Amino acid sequence: MLTSDDIESIILRAIGALNSERAPDEQIAARADTPLFGVDAELDSLEFVSVITDVETSLNVDHGLEISLADDRAMSRAISPYETVATLRDYVLELLA
Amino acid sequence: MPSPDGAGLYADQVVVVTGASRGVGRLLADHFLAQGARVIGISRGPTELATSAYEHQELDIADDRAVRQAFARIARSHGRVDILVNNAGALTSIHAMLMPASSADEMVRTNILGGLYVAREAAKIMRRHSFGRIIWIGSMASTLEPIGDSVYAATKAASMTLAGVLAKEFAGFGITVNTLAVSAVDTEMLRQIPQDKVRTIVASLPLPRLATADDICNVVDFFSSPRSSYITAQTVFLGGIHG
Repeated sequence: MLTSDDIESIILRAIGALNSERAPDEQIAARADTPLFGVDAELDSLEFVSVITDVETSLNVDHGLEISLADDRAMSRAISPYETVATLRDYVLELLA
Repeated sequence: MPSPDGAGLYADQVVVVTGASRGVGRLLADHFLAQGARVIGISRGPTELATSAYEHQELDIADDRAVRQAFARIARSHGRVDILVNNAGALTSIHAMLMPASSADEMVRTNILGGLYVAREAAKIMRRHSFGRIIWIGSMASTLEPIGDSVYAATKAASMTLAGVLAKEFAGFGITVNTLAVSAVDTEMLRQIPQDKVRTIVASLPLPRLATADDICNVVDFFSSPRSSYITAQTVFLGGIHG
């Protein structure tokens, strides 16, 4: 069973993959409070899609967990689960519960 | 005939073909296999195709959950998808005044939503290698608007628009999205349509004959080629039709 830390690591690895293609002075902070979506986010739309699909793929391929991070539950929430690394981590935990 | 040594135009490539058990889908599955690809066919029913390079998954592409599960299995077992042929389609040809709601619903769900679900999941896998070719099998009906094909033609027009938008959304991931709009080709689907109507439509084409397997494979090979990286959001009509 994945822990909260395991899931956060998966998300931070996805951000790391983005940073590997970004200039040194344009690196995205890899922290729990890093915004992923919304006005404060530094990710462009393609990078946001990349993070979500990287996390989903890692959960599937590396851990055999078939979950969708972009289903109706995620879209219908008043507070988006994509807001920060921490909210995404908590949403994944909720889906796995 | 499958390539015995795995060599060929598509050696080492993983190709997914929907609607692979018959018609154009079967034809293309055979083509990719003959050229050395590993082919994963998807259809609602079983297949007679039995070769070690071929896997079959029975599912309805309009079932979002089933599509997600199928591509999760593909990601785990193959780790890549190079080419997707979005071919599965439903057709009921009948005058609009007699069109059953269930038939209209099936065409919308299969021809539009099913195509989206499959393309979405394939693209998630393709982007990991920054390469992908998505080829939609469209129809001349979208442009010719034949009597009896109201919903079918509309769904095929919608899928061309869908492919155009996905071409933009996926471009940054090295994935191209194009449509091959086939004219009449001798398949089970065509035989559902009154043959006098088929003859009239074919006779009206600038190139008045049925499409052959080679006509279809030729365009699919063109869209699939690594050299076609600058070709996206395009529709090629067979038979001289133009959009």
